[in-house]
Formats: sequence, C-alpha cells, structure tokens
Amino acid sequence: MACFQRESPALKEILLKLYNAEKTMEIDHHLYEFGSVEYHIQSSPSDPQYAYLSISTPLLSQGVMLSHGLSHFTIQMVKEICSDVVEIIEPTKEGYQLTLRLDFAKILNSKDSEKVISEISALQAVILSTQLKEMLLSVNTQDTYQGTYKPIKLVYHPREPFFVIRQPKKIMAVFPMRFKDKSDVIIATAFFQELMDVGNSKEWSKAPPCCWSPIPPPELTGEPFEDLSTNGGFVSFDISSRHVDDKRVDKTVWSLLNFHAYVKFHVKSTRGFIQRRMRKRLEGLVQVLPKSSSEEEEEEEEEEETKKVQGRRSRRKLVILPKSKILKRKCGYFSRKIKKIRSRIKIHGFWRFRKRWLKMPKFSSSRGYTKLE
Amino acid sequence: MATSLRLYLTCIRNTLEAAMCLQNFPCQEVERHNKPEVELKTSPELLLNPVVICRNEAEKCLIETSINSLRISLKVKQADELENILTKKFLRFLSMRAEAFQVLRRKPVQGYDISFLITNYHCEDMHKHKLIDFIVQFMEDIDKEISELKMSVNTRGRLVATEFLKQFV
Repeated sequence: MACFQRESPALKEILLKLYNAEKTMEIDHHLYEFGSVEYHIQSSPSDPQYAYLSISTPLLSQGVMLSHGLSHFTIQMVKEICSDVVEIIEPTKEGYQLTLRLDFAKILNSKDSEKVISEISALQAVILSTQLKEMLLSVNTQDTYQGTYKPIKLVYHPREPFFVIRQPKKIMAVFPMRFKDKSDVIIATAFFQELMDVGNSKEWSKAPPCCWSPIPPPELTGEPFEDLSTNGGFVSFDISSRHVDDKRVDKTVWSLLNFHAYVKFHVKSTRGFIQRRMRKRLEGLVQVLPKSSSEEEEEEEEEEETKKVQGRRSRRKLVILPKSKILKRKCGYFSRKIKKIRSRIKIHGFWRFRKRWLKMPKFSSSRGYTKLE
Repeated sequence: MATSLRLYLTCIRNTLEAAMCLQNFPCQEVERHNKPEVELKTSPELLLNPVVICRNEAEKCLIETSINSLRISLKVKQADELENILTKKFLRFLSMRAEAFQVLRRKPVQGYDISFLITNYHCEDMHKHKLIDFIVQFMEDIDKEISELKMSVNTRGRLVATEFLKQFV
C-alpha cells in the first residue's frame, strides 16, 4: 500500500519525469494522498533551471495543543535532505506549509538522481518524524512520576491518538485500538496475537517487543477515560536505543505513525479474502448436488438414441437399393397416408365401397408393360 | 476422520434414511394448497417426533419429520470467537444463496446455524440416497472449510506481522 512507503510514489514519478526530460516541461500538478497530504509541483519553460514543490500535511499534535506551522528543528532537518538541490522558499505558497525550490542541475551523477529524488519524495515522512523526535527530546524533566515520564498523547490520524511514554532505558508506544464492527475486532485481535508471538520469538529478538492487552497498561493511569475506552485493546511496543539510532530512527518513527492504518488495511484485506474464499467454496459445494433421476433417464435415452441413429446410418450405407424400388416404396408410403386420411371415420360396410371405388390406380403393371396394338 | 465424527455422521445418516419417507399430502386446511407440514405444524397427526443427535454440547443435529416434508437443522462447532464469526459469515453467505442448493432454507431454525428443508417433490426429483449423501458431505465440508479459513486467517496475520516487524530490523 502506497501510504506505508516513506516516499510518495506519485511524487517520485513526476520528479523523475522532470529530471529525465530533455526539454523543460510545463507542469502544474496537484497531488492528493492518503492522510490529507497535498503536493503542488510546478515547472515552466520560462524558469527552466528550477522546479517548485509545495506540501501541505496534517502535523503531529499533542492532543489538545494543536501544532501551528513547522518548527525550526523541522525546517533544519528538511534543509539537510539534499542541501545542494533543495532550497526552502519564504514565504510559502498560500495554503501550504512548506515550499521548496528544486535545482536538478546540481545533481552530479545520474546514478545519484534516483536516490536524491527518493529523499525529496519522502518529504512528508521527514516532517512527521522530526516532529516526533522533537517532542521526545523536549520532554520536561519535571514531568516525571515514579521515575517515568508523563505519557505524551500524539494525534496523527483524527480520532486515533496514541501515547508515547519515555522511560529510562526505552520508549514505550501504546496504541489504543478501536473498530466499528465486532468482526473487525476479532480479526484484529487474532492479528495482534500473531504479532505478539512473532515479536517475542527468538528469530525476531532484534525487533521491538510488543504486547497486546484488553485493558490499558499501568503506565496510562490517570489519562482521560475517553482515551482509554476501546474495543480492540491496547498494543504497546518497547522501543530501545537500538531502534532509534541514526540509520533506523526514520523507519521506526514512520512505522509507528502508520500502525493504525496498517492494522485497518490488514483487517479490510482479510475480510476481502474471506469473501473470495467463500465464493469459491460455494461453487464447489453446489457441484455436489445430486442429479435428479428424470435427468439421468433423459441422459440415458439420449445416449441410446445417438447409438441407434449411428447404427441406422451405417446400415443404410451398406444396402444400396435400385431407384425403381425406392420410388415404389415412396409411392406406397404416400398412398397409405392418403388412405389413412380418407378413412378416418369407420362406417360398417363401407369397406366394400372403398375397395371398389377409392382404390389408388396402379402406375405400374405386374406384367411389366402391355403393348398397345 | 475422527471416530466420534464418524459415529455422529453415521447416526445422522441412519436417522435420515428412516425419516425420509415422504409422500404428497395436500393441505388439510386450505383447499388446493400443498404446504410442507413440518413448517406449519398445525396438524399434530401429520408430524413425527423430532430427533436431536448431539455429538457434544456445541454440535448437534435436529431432524423434524412430517408426512410430506423433512427439516434438518445443524449446529456447527465454534471453538473460539474467530471460528464463531467465520461460521456465521459462511453459513449466512450460503443461506442467502439457498436457491442454488434447492434444499437449503434461507433462515436457520432458532438455536441452530443452518437448516435444510426437503419435501416430497425433492424426493421425486432426486434419489433419496444421494440427498442423504449430500447432507452428510455438506456437514463434513463445512467443518473442513471453517478450519481451513481459520488457518488461512492466522497464516495471513502471521505474514503481515512478520512484514511489519521487518521494518524495525
């Protein structure tokens, strides 16, 4: 699913097209993606050196406190994407949070072009992950309770908040899961149990340990009741320093941000799979139906008739009759038909009359022919 | 096949062979009407004693017979919640397409998961032993299909979980 990749595939395709074009193209694209993300890409022959990219994305907010614009830290991280190629323009375009000017001429190698363009296409992921990093780093040391920090409530998708709790040796991410349908809850619960089994196995010791429980974990004690009332339970991940090192931090943050969407997509796909499977099985079950006895008899009769017809045809081919005999047979058949038609009504004593007066004339004499003198 | 399942199915088969003696019987109350008496249950003299065959607390079969019709209701085993929803979905799916099966009832009897209604007309059109074979085969196939569905759903969940955790490694 496109939304789980850090790079936006549509944006990447357009930027690659712009880069590989021999002449500067006139482009003015608006892209709308999952999660209310909007991109605006512009390029014109009047300004052949540069292309302009604007982005509008819902920002990570801390529950009640809505975030207004991008912080200095986020802008700094965006500048570091490809400092030669990317330049932030102020003021930004109306309706967008960030506008970048892209200079493809500064990409030295064609081999590096795809890498650079991929990094630019992952702009939204960079913005969100830097916001999360900033929130984690700026946790106030006074907000501690019994050695653990107060849970930070983060809202990325509307009505789907999740909590991040900073602990001395790890960070705990807790996702309260809510579903509309009861069957979704059961399918998701089966998935969470598999996730726990896989995550806690020896082969996946490097992955963050995960846990599912129907009741809120003790770390969320004191949080508002509306945030803790769920029907899908609570999934928690223990993120250690290993998962947030320089190489993996972006991937880890992006995966955590899209966990809700990932689960919902899996539940939807499973429902579709069950439906397809049932349709397929229905065809198999219907074929087992017993055939009716009359249908079987009809089939047997048809088989016999085809055999008989074949037999008659073969007999006809073997016996060749002279033409005169064939004519005689046809005439006889015709005369019998006429007699039947004429003699429908049976009258006593009428047979004598019929024998004398209603006899069909013979066209051929038994003696052959009589010579006329 | 497990021994208990074989015994259960054999018992159902023998009961159906004895119960499936149906004949045409016009409705006694409404002129020129011909209704399956097992559904109406207005004339007790036309009904035979219903038989319940239980494999265990969760699985049972109810066979109700009358002079011109026979109703078979099945309760399928549901070990956990996932099997519960899969069974409900699948049997509801089949019931909605009852015309394809001819002998299937659109709505199961209360307390059961799926019901069949066999009338004397079905017995005239189809062989009795084949009808019974179909019912017994259907029961086996349903159990098998629910188990396979459950396994498939769990396997999919495991694969998806593996793919998700790969991103952290």
